[in-house]
Amino acid sequence: MLKKINYQSFGLVGFYLVIVIIFSALSPVFRTAGNFSNLLIGFSHIGILAVGQTFPILLGGIDLSVGAILGLVGMTTFDLMLIFGLPGYIAIPIGLVVGLLAGLINGLLIVRLKLNPFIVSLATMASFRGLVYAISGRQLFPGLTVMAIKDPTYLAIDGSLGHVPYALIYLIIIALITYFILHNTKLGMDLYAVGGNENAARLAGVNVNRVKIAAYLISGLCSAIAALILTSRMTTSPEGLGIGFELSAIAAAVIGGVNMQGGSGSTLGPVLGAFLIGTIYTGMNLLGVTQYAQPVVAGIILIGAVGYDQFMKERRRKELQAQLLLQSLRMKGQGG
Amino acid sequence: MKKNILLQARDVSKRYYAVQALSEANIEIYSGEVHALIGSNGAGKSTLIKILTGAVVPDTGEVLLNGKQIPHGDTKAALDAGIACIYQESNLVPTLSVMDNILLGRQPTLRMGVLDRKAQRAIVVDLLKKHDLNLDPDAAVQSLSTVQQKEVEIAKALSLNAKVVLMDEPTAWLSQVEVEKLFRSIRKLTDEGAGVLYISHVLDEIFTIADRVTVIRDGKVLLSTAISDTTKSALVQTMLGRQLSSEVNALQQEQAEKHLGFVALECRQMSRAGLFQDVNLKVHRGEIVCITGLIGAKRTELVRTLFGAELPDSGEVLIDDKPAHIRRPLDAIRYGMGLIPEDRRRDGLLMNLSINHNLVMAYLPLVTRLGLLAPDLFKRMGQFQMDRLGIVPPHLEIPARNLSGGNQQKVLIGRWLAGKTGIIILDEPTVGVDVGAKADIYKLLRDLADYGTAILIVSSDMEEVMTVADRILVMARGGLVASFQKGRVTQEQILNAASGEMVQ
Amino acid sequence: MTTLLSKFRDKSGRIATQRFFKDYGLIVVMLMVIAGITSIERNFLSLENMIGILYQVAIIGVMAACMTFVIITGGIDLSVGPVMAISGLLAVFTLESTGMSLVSAVCVGLLAGAIIGTINGFAIGRFKLPPFVVTLGMMSIIRGTALLIGDATVHLISGPESFLFIGTGQLFGIPFPILIFATVATLIYFIQTRTPFGLTVFAIGENQEAARLAGLPVLKTKTLVYTLSGVGASIAGIILASQVHTASAVYGNGSELDSIAAVVVGGTSLAGGSGSVHRSVLGALLIGIINNGLSILNVSIELQLVAKGIIIVLALALDRYLQSEK
Repeated sequence: MLKKINYQSFGLVGFYLVIVIIFSALSPVFRTAGNFSNLLIGFSHIGILAVGQTFPILLGGIDLSVGAILGLVGMTTFDLMLIFGLPGYIAIPIGLVVGLLAGLINGLLIVRLKLNPFIVSLATMASFRGLVYAISGRQLFPGLTVMAIKDPTYLAIDGSLGHVPYALIYLIIIALITYFILHNTKLGMDLYAVGGNENAARLAGVNVNRVKIAAYLISGLCSAIAALILTSRMTTSPEGLGIGFELSAIAAAVIGGVNMQGGSGSTLGPVLGAFLIGTIYTGMNLLGVTQYAQPVVAGIILIGAVGYDQFMKERRRKELQAQLLLQSLRMKGQGG
Repeated sequence: MKKNILLQARDVSKRYYAVQALSEANIEIYSGEVHALIGSNGAGKSTLIKILTGAVVPDTGEVLLNGKQIPHGDTKAALDAGIACIYQESNLVPTLSVMDNILLGRQPTLRMGVLDRKAQRAIVVDLLKKHDLNLDPDAAVQSLSTVQQKEVEIAKALSLNAKVVLMDEPTAWLSQVEVEKLFRSIRKLTDEGAGVLYISHVLDEIFTIADRVTVIRDGKVLLSTAISDTTKSALVQTMLGRQLSSEVNALQQEQAEKHLGFVALECRQMSRAGLFQDVNLKVHRGEIVCITGLIGAKRTELVRTLFGAELPDSGEVLIDDKPAHIRRPLDAIRYGMGLIPEDRRRDGLLMNLSINHNLVMAYLPLVTRLGLLAPDLFKRMGQFQMDRLGIVPPHLEIPARNLSGGNQQKVLIGRWLAGKTGIIILDEPTVGVDVGAKADIYKLLRDLADYGTAILIVSSDMEEVMTVADRILVMARGGLVASFQKGRVTQEQILNAASGEMVQ
Repeated sequence: MTTLLSKFRDKSGRIATQRFFKDYGLIVVMLMVIAGITSIERNFLSLENMIGILYQVAIIGVMAACMTFVIITGGIDLSVGPVMAISGLLAVFTLESTGMSLVSAVCVGLLAGAIIGTINGFAIGRFKLPPFVVTLGMMSIIRGTALLIGDATVHLISGPESFLFIGTGQLFGIPFPILIFATVATLIYFIQTRTPFGLTVFAIGENQEAARLAGLPVLKTKTLVYTLSGVGASIAGIILASQVHTASAVYGNGSELDSIAAVVVGGTSLAGGSGSVHRSVLGALLIGIINNGLSILNVSIELQLVAKGIIIVLALALDRYLQSEK
């Protein structure tokens, strides 16, 4: 298991510590335990999204619709509870199912119609977001704008165990489960195979279609879970919920070492990546930097992470070449 | 052992648009036997193999395993039925380990899909030992050399315990030692009753390992016989329809004493970390120089660096005795250089563009007027090249994809003849080219050299090197270790130099 | 001679039926949609409405036309929305705060798009970063930058009449934005079919490495196509600001979707190596017609968004189907 932790993780942790030190030095509030607690609460959902995003990216694809799915699930449960009066323990499973369905739609479009995942998830992002507005309870029944979710089961989703927020616990559990799937099950092995060389996997008898759909299902499910956490915390579901989350999720995954070409990466890195981004945002806020700077930073982080990844790949390739030359020289000595 | 038919293709045909790739081809693979399949490129060998493994659906005909028909186009069904294949292209997942690649898609599992690592490791270690393959099961495939990767492919096919193993040019990257290892493994397979279908261009290998041989030409099976009942030249004649040796002899006779011209291309102290060190070479006008060596000698990297496709760490290039600043292919072209890359499909031709486009591409300024493309000039230049090179079919607008290997190579050569190219570099120019086109290309190169062009060829084909070169350079251990004049060296001396042994 | 030119216009080697289907099929679909909508709502076919459509189409069309080359090279540009916004903002600010002329203000706006596009192109061409990620990141960066410059508020243009002419004026009875669109599209078509640059674009989309080894200026071309896309977004942004008499950092959000939809629906393949500007023009027309039609039929904005997504998917599926026929 330790073999999977590579140089990238060390670089990441190092970078993280540097950021923490800088912000701690610049802002006294940053240093407080309360701040860190807020951070953990505030960005666990991004971490969950990032973990879910890992799966499509491992296949060399992507899911841009995660933010929209999050909004859709949130709005669905909100409507179910406040318009139809359903109890939380019914609304929650339905919410999860909606997430799975959305993921299924993505998966089917990409697999059955053999479409480019980037554009497809861009299109579904628009469609799902449109649906969010269309089913928005607050628009259909203006009175709902001031009503809050009161269902105890639902509200219990976002609580805490002492100082440890539930959200963080969910995140850790999800990260561990997905890690196990990736490294110890056939599904995980097949995912890496399809991501690394889809043709080879197909010729070897791997059910490529099923693997791809599974990846998007997982992504959808993670979006749903994140939605439940957020709407429970806010006790409502605004129409714009989730807009822009996909960027943070992707950035977190990429920083976390998930290679955009597919075939390599794991789910622990994205968790770290999510907190790195969260730390930067929080730090910026505390330093009084305007909110508008956040998307700028997010974009720079994303491009920077991908650039760094590319750079390291090139370096590794050159090192490998040198190694192979040495190898072949040694082998020739052995008698050719 | 009673020999029964294991795998059989009956009257299979396949058409790709205007090209009939296969017509009513029949082939039988018996158990315990190695069956060789030979033919020029484009003759239909790869198509036939792909039909047998289910990767391609035939238009007519059927495939039978042990007398029972197996469904078309279903690779999984073929795999399950016991048909394994080592394709020419790499079918490994670079990011996974050797162990995971060998059992790709078939890793043993415990309950609920959890991988059984212990069982997997045991199977793999066992297999590697049985076939004398020295591979680290945990190494990532992308960190292996090409040769080792090929061995992983072989192990993968062997692990299937298949009844029939198909191999498409399996020795393309292997050295003598590894080829012998492969042959031992093949014999183990046939001893156990499996049948092997072996595609190769190397007739010597076929006479070593095969029991039967089938010749395909233009999609039709022309000959199918026991190896013991035929000879090398008979096979060549069937493949081609004519003799090769006479052509080769005629070529050699034409090579009169050359008056070497000036030094057209020279590189001094050219180095790239991890690839080659302090390389010095010269090519004169009118001279054909061949660089040979073992696979992995980085000759391709050297010539790519000369052409500006990659940047050197140090060293300089001189064209006509003057320093040349080459930082990208466009610069090299401006100095009058041309490169025909090793993989013509991947790096050479624009497959979906027309022959005309491909021919004219490197010298667009010649077909522009006032900055705009001139269709008449465009077509005229293309036609001129086609006629000069004898490219069949004589139709400019056909996409390059539809040409045979030999014609594709001619188009690539033609690309550089469009303008003033004084230096042509060819990297493995006749790999996958049928014997007839090979002779055409050799003659063309000779003509060009006589005309004054400097020609540098990277080749692993000893016969080619001995036939065509005026001077032979050998590359090994990251440098040029020997230089021989035509007619004053034996193949053995070349091989020795390539292996790094001292040359007297 | 015509055969050769037509090979430039579209990917050579495509079988005739496919091209026929795409070119004429598109027009047929367009006519069907118009017929369908008119049958429900008579006003759709009125001259007033048609002209209204043209005003809209001009904006999407300019962006789509300029993005076509990017897509032919196998890339994409997601940053066009925020580029529209920032160009509009900068043009307006220049006009209002400094004493500069209209022409200068417009140039400032165009320059913004050119610079952003070139940065995109450089990252993609020189550093070989994936276009999707780069332009996604850039989209976010420019959106934030635009907000930093102009806030989320809407700025009223109090400037000269001449600025408003860009978006709302008419020349010889033809809406000015349409003239801009037509000029841009024609220019790009010309480049596509008659210049080495155009040929290089197709070659890069077909096989970049082979193009490089054949001496084509790959890096320069790849960078410039993104510059062009950026400028196209700037033009669109300035037209938009002029039309609505305001500029804002939030304008243009989601227009990348319209632009891509126009190119895709028009039949240019996202895989690269084939396509044409005239296709994007037709695609933009169709998208504009559909957008307008849906509004006239009183379909809510939300559902329009859903519809847009579905249309893109359908167009992609059709393209993929046609590809596999080869």
